[in-house]
Amino acid sequence: MASKVLPQALFITPRSSNQCPPKKLGLSTFPSPRSTSLNLNRLSTSRFSSNSFGFHFRPIVVSPKRFFIVSAEADNEGELGPDENTEEEETVSETESEVKLDAEDEAKPPRKPRVKLGDIMGILNKRAIEASEKERPVPDLRTGDIVEIKLEVPENRRRLSIYKGIVISKQNAGIHTTIRVRRIIAGVGVEIVFPVYSPNIKEIKVVNHRKVRRARLYYLRDKLPRLSTFK
Amino acid sequence: MAARFASRLSHVGRSVFGGLGNISSGSLRTSLDSTWNNFLSQQQQRTFIQMRTVLKVVDNSGAKKVMCIQALKGKKGARLGDTIVASVKEAHPNGKVKKGEVVYGVVVRAAMQRGRCDGSEVKFDDNAVVLLDKQGQPRGTRVFGPVPHELRKKKHLKILTLAEHIA
Repeated sequence: MASKVLPQALFITPRSSNQCPPKKLGLSTFPSPRSTSLNLNRLSTSRFSSNSFGFHFRPIVVSPKRFFIVSAEADNEGELGPDENTEEEETVSETESEVKLDAEDEAKPPRKPRVKLGDIMGILNKRAIEASEKERPVPDLRTGDIVEIKLEVPENRRRLSIYKGIVISKQNAGIHTTIRVRRIIAGVGVEIVFPVYSPNIKEIKVVNHRKVRRARLYYLRDKLPRLSTFK
Repeated sequence: MAARFASRLSHVGRSVFGGLGNISSGSLRTSLDSTWNNFLSQQQQRTFIQMRTVLKVVDNSGAKKVMCIQALKGKKGARLGDTIVASVKEAHPNGKVKKGEVVYGVVVRAAMQRGRCDGSEVKFDDNAVVLLDKQGQPRGTRVFGPVPHELRKKKHLKILTLAEHIA
């Protein structure tokens, strides 16, 4: 199906290279897969003719939309290469081989590892965590630790609020990793969920550790208040 | 109570497996999923304070328990820091407030978690109110237990100064 579309697209390229404005790339992101391949191939091959293909590999974060499209197109091309080799070469050999040569020339010198679509969130999360760790290192927290957290509250900017308690659960979600801290304050049980990498948290200190045989200590809600009291 | 529920669930699981000797693996998987969903929803889903919710009164105005009649803001109900209209259900014998009186109150502790602007959430173990008058000033002179920061934004500064502990 895509193979039938591609030769058509390649035929169209020389005529439409001036007419298609480059801005269209950002808009035509996700209609149907067939039409995207048509648009992408048309627009990207028009780019090839102007020799600016190599530019779009580099800015990963700056123009993520453009990058997605280019990588999808590259994958598409890569898939089609081994499958319909003969067909491509027969139909529009000149432009396509020219295109492939340009691409390879541009790709080889920088030699950057290809960032796949699925990894991007993971990479962004890691970067955010590294940035936060540089500001304030986070200790290794586990369920059952008795922690003391110093928090800066935007309303009460004079003093840091101190929260002490037992960690009853830890939810790992990259930059939004949270811990749930429970304590009995003035006779009433209070549970607060803290995002561990939040810039408002000025210090986390593990004061003690209690041996628990569970990852989530929700049973403490039903137990005696004595078990959740920490001086 | 939670332990009894868990044991009941395990009994169900055992009988299900016993009866499924001949049935294909597809239906076995679906019944496993349903029991797993039951297990996951064992945690109580705390929700808003709405009509007929009974709340504890934590000031010395004389009332002990009030029942919410109306949440003044919010379609689904009141949350931490919202004001409600309530009817006094139980009161101290000699207090400023009598049983059956219709009063206004601000929710100072709620079992439903309330998100804060920095991504943290706070929840208490019970639901509690502090009674107010029409102008929003507290009717009592003392407040017991912890109160959250949210009251500062809602302009209940007097309650914050009277409080034992600001959570």
